[in-house]
Amino acid sequence: MAGFRRYLIRRLLLLGFVLWCILTIMFALFQLLPGDPTSMFVDSNFSQEMIERQKQLWGLADPVWLQYLRYLRNMLLFDFGQSFFQNEPVREIMVDKMVNTTLMIVPALIVSVIAGTIVGAVAGWRRGGPFERLTVGTSLFLHSAPSFVVGILALMVFSYQLQWLPPGGMVSLGGPESAWEMLVSRDFWTHLALPCLVLVSREITGPILLLRSSMLEVKGSDFLDILRAKGLPERAIVVHATRNALLPLVTYIAVMTAMLFQGQVLLEIIFSWPGVGRELVQALNDLDYPVAQAALYVMALVTLLLNLVADLLYGVIDPRVTYE
Amino acid sequence: MAGTGSGPALAPPTQVRALGPWRAAAAQARTTLRILAADRSAVVGMVVIGAFVLVALLAPWIAPYGPFEVAYASDGGVARLSPPSASNPFGTTNQGMDVFSQLVWGTRVALLVGLVSAIGSVIIGTLIGLVAGYFGGWTDDVLMRLTDVAFGIPFLPFAMVVISISRPSLPLIIVLVVFFLWRTTARVIRAQVLSLKERPFVWAARAAGASDFKILFRHVAPNALPLSFLYVAIGVQTAVMLEAGLSFLGFGDPQVQSWGIMLNAAFRAGAMRSAWWWVLPPALALSAFVMAVFMISRAYEEVLNPRLRKA
Repeated sequence: MAGFRRYLIRRLLLLGFVLWCILTIMFALFQLLPGDPTSMFVDSNFSQEMIERQKQLWGLADPVWLQYLRYLRNMLLFDFGQSFFQNEPVREIMVDKMVNTTLMIVPALIVSVIAGTIVGAVAGWRRGGPFERLTVGTSLFLHSAPSFVVGILALMVFSYQLQWLPPGGMVSLGGPESAWEMLVSRDFWTHLALPCLVLVSREITGPILLLRSSMLEVKGSDFLDILRAKGLPERAIVVHATRNALLPLVTYIAVMTAMLFQGQVLLEIIFSWPGVGRELVQALNDLDYPVAQAALYVMALVTLLLNLVADLLYGVIDPRVTYE
Repeated sequence: MAGTGSGPALAPPTQVRALGPWRAAAAQARTTLRILAADRSAVVGMVVIGAFVLVALLAPWIAPYGPFEVAYASDGGVARLSPPSASNPFGTTNQGMDVFSQLVWGTRVALLVGLVSAIGSVIIGTLIGLVAGYFGGWTDDVLMRLTDVAFGIPFLPFAMVVISISRPSLPLIIVLVVFFLWRTTARVIRAQVLSLKERPFVWAARAAGASDFKILFRHVAPNALPLSFLYVAIGVQTAVMLEAGLSFLGFGDPQVQSWGIMLNAAFRAGAMRSAWWWVLPPALALSAFVMAVFMISRAYEEVLNPRLRKA
């Protein structure tokens, strides 16, 4: 256990270091951004004096190191300032967009993991059969297809040609607004169906392929013969085998979520889903830097935290892992 | 005693001694090609990629129009959004440009971005992995922490911010993709080197008085090479997809005509609703390219790692 604590501390220190590096890179990047934030507000009637006063008010006249330290503190406290265009604190915008992104990712994740586990386990159990061949072939196909192209094609077919599903957005105009109202409304789920399906079509391939190969390994274990000797029916043995084959999946889920979160940008644009990724694209187009900065930071932070979770879960779940 | 290198599993020792490590690697490459030629999906992948290469090389002769040339109808007006016809096999865009020609020119961009970024990132990643794994100690620590930082950066968001700071251009996109891709190669090659440097042939070279530089590049590197090649293949696939994604989001180089830029223009013009002939060609070409490279890389991975092979 002492080994684990040492590992945890080392891992957290590393997280802090990586986060600091990323924040510093971001600070440098946003210093280099074209244009002066004051020029957004100041019209030509303003005198030079008024511009200087405004700069002082925002701390832009301070030396760079002071701005850097203030920036670090603000980022760590999630204090992102005010949006240039939406008259709202950036933190509130981010919370909203995070909720929206989560609303799209989590259902897709749940479906992918549960369905993928079952399909993958069955495929691994029936090694060499037609079901296995079909599953592996389809999974590899879906896995290698670029998901945003799949999104574009799905939108063309199901929304524009067949008109079965709405072509984008989270709800219809005048629909529910809060997350809770959305979750119980049919309107939201019909809007979610298509992007969610596109996400599942790729994300499900991970658990399927993983479960299949880890099932192949578990299948030869002695403990299954003992269960068979005890007279358990084959169905119950499959469940036991699956439980052991699940280990690698747990860490995979955390990594998968992190990747999902990054790749989300494209699908959010295609399906006009008002999430963090779409917000970043819009903020960059509008030169709304506080929002862009916060969106990039939030995405990097989520990636880092989920990778940490993946590493830690690996040891917690499998007691055979040692930390030397 | 310079010729004692190369992995023991490759060939009978006498032959290896005669060949030398780099020539042994070349012999292994020939064997690999033979195995790939027997794999059906790898052959399909290679045929598809071969066709794309041919199209890219012959683009000026295949494409009836330039990448930004406007096609005029027989009455002299601009042929806007005209469906496929004899003169425009894939129809035209809302600005009256020939979709087929854009697709052909886009093949060049895809191949260029794919190859340059993949090879660049693998060279950087392999060097970092070799040095980190071989020397260990603080060199390893510094290089691996650098890799950790690179792994913490979400690519698409980061690349979008960098591109909006300067201006979108193909070289910048390639640099960003390289920056994103080297990290995986570095980690994998480092792990490989950690195991390679404990092999008897490395001890033998050291006992014979070979310098670190010589051991690393003459004895260790050739044995890590097959793995580097795998990451070139994976890199081509990822790079083409990333360029397409960035361009689709509106951060592509407006000076060139790539599949991603075509998709972006089609998407913004609402062609998904009205002009399928403008959307499908770039969408399907991109998918075919990416999937073909995937088929090759997967077959190659099976050659390297026989455990993946089907029973």
